[in-house]
Amino acid sequence: MKGRFLSLLLPPTAWLVVFLVLPTAVLAVSAFSVEGLKALAHAGTWLLFWRSFWIAVVSTAVCLAVSYPVAYFIAGCTPRWRNLLLFLVVLPFWTNLLVRTYALKFCLDPIGWTDTGAVIFAIVQNFLPFMILPLYSSIEKLPARLLEASQDLGASPARTFWKVTVPLTMPGIAAGCILVFIPVLGVFALPEFINERTVLIGSQINLYYGQGNVGAGSALTLVLMVFTVVLTWLYARLRKSEGLV
Amino acid sequence: MRKLLGGFTGLVLVALYAPIVVMILFSFNESKYSVKWTGFTLDWYRQLAGNEKIHKDLLNTLKISGASTVLATLLGTMAAMAGRSAFRGKRLYTTLVALPVMVPDIVLGMAMYSLFHFIDVHVVRLPLSLGTAVVAHTTFNLAYVAVVVSARLQGLDRSIELAAQDLGATPLRAFWKVTLPAILPGVVSGAVLAFTLSFDDFVITYFTTGPGNGTLPMRIYSLVRFAVTPEINAISTVILAASLVLIAGALRFSRVPVAGGGR
Repeated sequence: MKGRFLSLLLPPTAWLVVFLVLPTAVLAVSAFSVEGLKALAHAGTWLLFWRSFWIAVVSTAVCLAVSYPVAYFIAGCTPRWRNLLLFLVVLPFWTNLLVRTYALKFCLDPIGWTDTGAVIFAIVQNFLPFMILPLYSSIEKLPARLLEASQDLGASPARTFWKVTVPLTMPGIAAGCILVFIPVLGVFALPEFINERTVLIGSQINLYYGQGNVGAGSALTLVLMVFTVVLTWLYARLRKSEGLV
Repeated sequence: MRKLLGGFTGLVLVALYAPIVVMILFSFNESKYSVKWTGFTLDWYRQLAGNEKIHKDLLNTLKISGASTVLATLLGTMAAMAGRSAFRGKRLYTTLVALPVMVPDIVLGMAMYSLFHFIDVHVVRLPLSLGTAVVAHTTFNLAYVAVVVSARLQGLDRSIELAAQDLGATPLRAFWKVTLPAILPGVVSGAVLAFTLSFDDFVITYFTTGPGNGTLPMRIYSLVRFAVTPEINAISTVILAASLVLIAGALRFSRVPVAGGGR
């Protein structure tokens, strides 16, 4: 039994150690090189991180504002419609992100919408399913009795929404936000397609990569990775302490 | 209120689908430069069919997705099965397996590249190739397969396997005759998911494949940066159609992974 367990455990673990842990270690080593440290000491780098951070914050907020009504509507439909609508929401994100972004570019270029606003629009359009799905699953679990109780006790629909619905769906809100925020932080190719001048951290990493400056590229990637890990860890802790599941 | 919400949902769906529909329509447009409709043609598809570069891209895409799907399905299924037992360091193990799903693609791509680059410079000549891309794809696909198969394993009653062994089956025989048939839908949909993600991937391939070993998504990336042409619309439509066929395949085998994916 023990031998069988080990023969199952070892191959994937070995693979992940060699091709996930080791690359990360090498990334860290090349980040702490002369080129890497030079890139990190450069004020422009932090300006880029700052910009990427804000674009990710705004995109996540817009995504949430757009997705909540949609998820709420879907959760209130009959099971047949519910499945159909969920399927329609999820279907695009099973297709190529580059193709979807190109399709959007194809429509936005002729009408001349190519500024940073268009980049945010494209991000929201692409990452919407990541927000709608977790929101839907927590809205769907909402006990109708509590909503009725709130209204019976004289709360207006708006008050019921803010005092009952939103707090109870917080797990979905948190999950959706983290699922959108993290990939958007490192988004690459999408901004280049929509507006070349909206340079985010991903584009800069690509620039260094193209120049063969592995040290600087690794340094920026490492910072991005640390951001990701810290966010995921905070989220996991929050989930535990608040009972958000 | 419901009507308002319904109208809004409809609007969001239009925003999701309209660009794709417009792009597909214009892959049949005669004019090369105009964004106005000038007439129906299949020329762009004919050009694709005769374009050797595109053939090579497609072949590379299939080679990378195929090889990494086989490897990842094997390793991912093993990872999921090992994850059923309780052992020391299990939390670390679970985090490790799920990590490629969590970090942004560019982080994984760049980390892989820095490993290959390091080996190339300090250990042994290792230029980027299809092989390095397969390795990188296997790492992220492994995670997705493990997630899907784990979900399937959770619904499996372990006592059936133990019963098979009590009745004299070797562990290997019990696996082939009892466990595998029970989790097969999960394994197959994990494999289809892996293939789809690989087929569609741009970022990780971009950082890990060698020059002259480009894939279809990489072709789109380099073409779009020159100019928008109906030819790109046609390639995109073909990729889209391939993804849809794969999804249909995945849905036939299992209803589990609809909520997964996203690359």
